Amino acid sequence: MTQPVLEVQDLHTVFATKEGTVKAVDGVSFELNAGETLGVVGESGCGKSVTALSIMRLQRPGRIVSGKVLLKGQDLTRLTEYEMREVRGREIAMIFQDPMTSLNPVYRVGWQVAEPARLHHGWDKKKALQSAVSMLGRVGIPAPESRARDYPHQFSGGMRQRVMIAMGLTTTPEVLIADEPTTALDVTIQAQILDLLRHVNREFGTATILITHNLGVVAGMCKRVVVMYAGRIVEAGPTKDVFAHPTHPYTWSLLRSIPRLDAEQHEPLRPIEGVPPNLVDLPSGCSFHPRCAFKVERCARDVPVLLQVGESQRSACWVTQAGTELKGA
Amino acid sequence: MLVRYVARRFLASLVVVLGVTLLTLILMDRTRGTYVPGIDLNPSLRPEDIENLRANLGLDRPFYVWYLTWIGAVLHGDFGHSMIDGSPVLSHILDRLPNTLELTATAIVIGVLIAVPLGVIGALRRGSKTDHALTVTSVAGFAVPQFWMGLMLILIFSVTLEQHGLPWLPSSGAYSAFNGGDFLDRVEHLILPATVLSFFYTSIWSRFIRSSMLEVLSQDYIRTARAKGMSERRVVYLHGLRNALIPLITLIGLELPGLVSGGLVVEVVFGWPGIGKLAFERALQYDYTTVMGVTFFATLLVIAGNLLADLLYGVLDPRIRYG
Amino acid sequence: MIGPSRVAELEMPGAGVETAAARPAQSYWNESWERLRDNRLGMAAGVLILVLALIAVLAPVFSAVLTHYEPQTINLDQTFVRPGASHLLGTDELGRDTLTRLIWGARVSLGVAFLTVAMSLSVGTTVGMVAGYYGGWIDDVLMRLVDTVLAIPAIFLFILMSILFRPNAVTLAAIVASVGWGSVARLVRGEVLSVKQRDFILATRSIGARDSRLMVRHLLPNVLPVLIVAASLGVGQIILVEAALDFLGLGIQPPTPSWGNMLTNAQSYFFHSGFLVAFPGITIFVTVLASNIFGNAVRDAFDPRLKSH
Repeated sequence: MTQPVLEVQDLHTVFATKEGTVKAVDGVSFELNAGETLGVVGESGCGKSVTALSIMRLQRPGRIVSGKVLLKGQDLTRLTEYEMREVRGREIAMIFQDPMTSLNPVYRVGWQVAEPARLHHGWDKKKALQSAVSMLGRVGIPAPESRARDYPHQFSGGMRQRVMIAMGLTTTPEVLIADEPTTALDVTIQAQILDLLRHVNREFGTATILITHNLGVVAGMCKRVVVMYAGRIVEAGPTKDVFAHPTHPYTWSLLRSIPRLDAEQHEPLRPIEGVPPNLVDLPSGCSFHPRCAFKVERCARDVPVLLQVGESQRSACWVTQAGTELKGA
Repeated sequence: MLVRYVARRFLASLVVVLGVTLLTLILMDRTRGTYVPGIDLNPSLRPEDIENLRANLGLDRPFYVWYLTWIGAVLHGDFGHSMIDGSPVLSHILDRLPNTLELTATAIVIGVLIAVPLGVIGALRRGSKTDHALTVTSVAGFAVPQFWMGLMLILIFSVTLEQHGLPWLPSSGAYSAFNGGDFLDRVEHLILPATVLSFFYTSIWSRFIRSSMLEVLSQDYIRTARAKGMSERRVVYLHGLRNALIPLITLIGLELPGLVSGGLVVEVVFGWPGIGKLAFERALQYDYTTVMGVTFFATLLVIAGNLLADLLYGVLDPRIRYG
Repeated sequence: MIGPSRVAELEMPGAGVETAAARPAQSYWNESWERLRDNRLGMAAGVLILVLALIAVLAPVFSAVLTHYEPQTINLDQTFVRPGASHLLGTDELGRDTLTRLIWGARVSLGVAFLTVAMSLSVGTTVGMVAGYYGGWIDDVLMRLVDTVLAIPAIFLFILMSILFRPNAVTLAAIVASVGWGSVARLVRGEVLSVKQRDFILATRSIGARDSRLMVRHLLPNVLPVLIVAASLGVGQIILVEAALDFLGLGIQPPTPSWGNMLTNAQSYFFHSGFLVAFPGITIFVTVLASNIFGNAVRDAFDPRLKSH
């Protein structure tokens, strides 16, 4: 088995706030293999973005208090800021949620896309720009040469996201982290961007972490998925399996709560009971237990560990680890 | 498109100019009934002569006629004549204008050169002791009366230094008559007044840059820049400051009337021979026409300055250029 | 580094529920007043202004008790006396006691300033509300008017009006207010435009309320915070402008003392009595500083989101 290209080991990132310490990332571990697309799923605030930012060491004002992030064996948490800059934009690229505000309005698009190559490979302006133009073409922007001379405000949302993707790929990074890349876009454009990401993953072989709260996106894009809740991973495994038979009550509830076209008309919607927890004041034991339909006594006492449940999945749940299957009305 | 933007700004300015002419003439109307040109020179004018003089200037006609005559005159470069000696106001203005421009431009340059670094430091070291010190200095800066600061600086750097036999800075005029007015001499004379004039604005602008920088640095594209792995310096200056400076231009444009006003006070305190001092001197002599002519001209200056600022803004912000 | 949008995501929905329940709901005005009260520096500045206002109003009392001099009594034997036991801050070129004149000068500086603010606010608010509420050509015309007034460098206009009208304290206030109302109008118009969109305005109109009623009873209270902030921040600037006019000799004329006109002849006595220059200036500085600090505190109290820390 070849070594995973990226390994996150028991990562803990916290934020100091007036109300207390927020444990945004509370012991997260997962791996990303070369060339694969891993989905990271969870609600707003579950820590998925902070995890991604911690990998890039852009988590400020938060602090990484413990854990490791191994990129091809090298621990990124141990690097100096100077060394980390060599990694950012070159080995690991990140694209963000809102393309409307993620590009600098006063510089031309071609210049911005060419910037990582100029900085990291030391190319001169002309070469970098040529490469940028070709990359813009490859992500599906028509007439890339003249478009490269345009400014961000002259592009639509979908086009801007393509520009961001182009920008991320100019240095052919090992890993691409896409943080909710389609959330801010129209549904039809979403599909196009996802297609592009799939295409890019095949053509460049870049391992991708796709962060989203949209289960549908994960289903179409990711072979493996990791589900997060309140700063912890609650379930991990091949997407097909996790969706077909979830081994954590949270995933189970999430999947059930999706309205289906083929459901009976009079069937009521099934939201998840309760509210997401306050990260400053997490519930004891399993963070999900107050909202869990399957909880037992142990759940309120001990924090579950992510363990193998069934053939291919891992789950952090005392109940399923004890063998109970999740079923219900 | 830039051209359309400029044209729009220009038309808006024109409207304002017309408004200003109307306003000032309405004010002057109060004196129309009593204004007699040259009466100070020749108090023994006969009533018929007075009537003639007034008729010549259209002063006995209805307001709109007077207004139109006046506009016509202005367009020909006739900004009126002094009530004291009948000399054309415009020539006095043009004589002094370079001095005022020299003073104002220097003050703006000094202001920006000091305010930008201070504002950037304040933003980067937000919450630190340095930042607090800078904030306190700025807040104190807007509370200092300009004329008093001028007096105090003269007291310290001119009078007291001289009294103690130390080299001192000149306290009035734009250059020394007997020194021949070379560059260094002019600079010596410029230092104190320019410092006073810029002081107030430096305080405002540095606070503004600080908050503009803070806002810019919290934008998503700054996060993108960092994710691309560039040095913090590049992020802050190349990506950040470039954006933060744009609104400063608009602010300077908005402050122009204040700057030109402040200029008048500074000119008077330092005996600086500019159009502000001209207006003041003539005001003391109740030379209404000159004062009005200068006021109108100063307004034109401000409006022109604003247009320039708008133009610069359009050039610097591609969203305007390629709107 | 993550931006504020990201940190906000960390606030789980419902996280505030427990904490909010612990404090009773309060009106905006009460909350603002509490925030203001908590700002110790701001309150101190406010108190200082109050004290100065008191001194201004009770000037005769203060000067009788503190200095035993009249502000306009000339005493040519006692010119340029240095600060000391008999004259706490010395005397000026006509032997008048400086401290007494400073006390009486407060009347002018503060009085004219408050009067100016009152006038600017009244005119500016009316214009701003009418422009913002009616919109269309009324708005255009009024705003062009404001642009025009604000384009003229104020001091030139003040000088012109000074020689045309020979002002006393009240007309001086009117002169300064004649430019000041412009920024107020712009500010109010902006507020009105944003408030106008809100549903309760639509609801009130739909029950047939008259325009003026709408403006006074519904728009005005919402615009008030902005006005209060503008007034508090503006007082300082007005004091400076008025002092400058007095200094130039075009405002309040001697022998009535004002902090500005006490400095009109400063350059004639620099060489021997430079200290006289310091006192009126420091007084102006302290007053304006206090009013600026208080103004900032008021602004922070009404809209803590604007705080830059």
